[in-house]
Amino acid sequence: MLRLLKFFLLILFVTAVSAKEYAVVASFATPPLSQNKIRALFLKKSEYLGDTKVVVLNLALGNPVRSSFEKKVLHMSRLHLKSYWTRQHYLGHRPPISMKSQKSMQIFLKNVHGAIGYGELGKIEKDLHVLYRWSDE
Amino acid sequence: MIFMKLFLFFSLLSSLFAETPTQKYSLGEGVQVAQLPLYVGGYFSADYRGIDGNNSYRLNDLALLSYGAYSKFSYLAEIEYKNFYLYNENAGKYTSSQDRRVHTERLYLHYELDERNAFTLGKYNTPAGFWNLLPINVLRETTSIPQSTMLLFPTFTTGVLWNYKNYGDATINVDIIAQNNADLDPTYNNYKLDEHYALGIAYEKDNLQVKLNFGFFDGRPANDASKALYYYMASLKYATDTLEILAELGSQKSTNVFTTKYAGYLQGVYKFTQKHAGVLRLESYDDRVHSIQEEIAIFAYSYRPIYPVSLKMEYQFHSVHQNNQVQCSVSVLF
Repeated sequence: MLRLLKFFLLILFVTAVSAKEYAVVASFATPPLSQNKIRALFLKKSEYLGDTKVVVLNLALGNPVRSSFEKKVLHMSRLHLKSYWTRQHYLGHRPPISMKSQKSMQIFLKNVHGAIGYGELGKIEKDLHVLYRWSDE
Repeated sequence: MIFMKLFLFFSLLSSLFAETPTQKYSLGEGVQVAQLPLYVGGYFSADYRGIDGNNSYRLNDLALLSYGAYSKFSYLAEIEYKNFYLYNENAGKYTSSQDRRVHTERLYLHYELDERNAFTLGKYNTPAGFWNLLPINVLRETTSIPQSTMLLFPTFTTGVLWNYKNYGDATINVDIIAQNNADLDPTYNNYKLDEHYALGIAYEKDNLQVKLNFGFFDGRPANDASKALYYYMASLKYATDTLEILAELGSQKSTNVFTTKYAGYLQGVYKFTQKHAGVLRLESYDDRVHSIQEEIAIFAYSYRPIYPVSLKMEYQFHSVHQNNQVQCSVSVLF
């Protein structure tokens, strides 16, 4: 019984240690944002931060970071998002631009003022500003 | 001639939607035209209604929409054929009719002033409740629409809309509507009106949204004399990946008497799988203008092979039994 408990605790520890951390980032300085505001930006309910027009970026469909972002930050399943963007088409709104990789996203972020993206925290370049953090836990 | 028009309509669409090497088309997302801030899409629906020995088949909505954004401005234009073709059968007698008028359903310019304030000018869906924001067949889970959405307020407004949003832990949304001019297309609205002022306040947190709407308009439902009408409505929406609860309840009165004492509905949609959903809607209304008071229970099934394609069937039980009916439809957003 004790052995089983130790094994269970070990699994919990390994899971906690290996939980990846992610961040929403921008090339321009802005105070950290609430999850509700991040959600509004990536669902295009809001398109401004102060006077800055925001361009939100997604990673490619199937990318595990995007899956984590949709689940943990947007709180929406793939099907829910598909239906959401179909409805937005009727309202005249387009889904965010998709980038092939975190590297290409970071190049875009540095070159387009107002661009906001996300990625693995450990791979985010130092000159980008972190607006929000989440993890897989 | 009608088939020639349809052929030309779909030929134009297929040419617009032809894939280019740089752009892959997905149904339900429209298509960008030549890298311009111009997206084109549309939708159509066909439905059947069987009631008290009468069967009607209809090619109903046939709509094209276009929209785009540049800097702080965006626009949307939507034109539509309504009741494009109707075929009716009653006791062995067959009739058919066509309505060839092209209606302007929506046409507006939108301006984002800053993070919190935006203005819309033109003809738009009145932002009252939740149903009226996404009213087309393909985006709803029943073929029919609740009576309350046609009774209480004008479904379209031609005027100015000021929208204020505040994002904290929850979202506060305020809409102020002002119309003091003729409707852009008076033949395409549930009320003929030239004046409409309204206020809407919404609160959203996590999966829950609640909304209050109050308004005044100078309208006439049919050919009646113009009259000042006041309405108020409370709405609620709760949505998760598998369940959606929607409820709206309101009232309308002229200066001294109720024109609709109450009208409302409670609807639950449960998604069994990604493609299959079951719906139960309970409605009740007391329309004092036409002296109709009814309770309705609607059971519906919705099948979406892919989200922008919707096949639906429903049965309606009415407290006025001769209104019991079956409805089904197919609709596509492209």
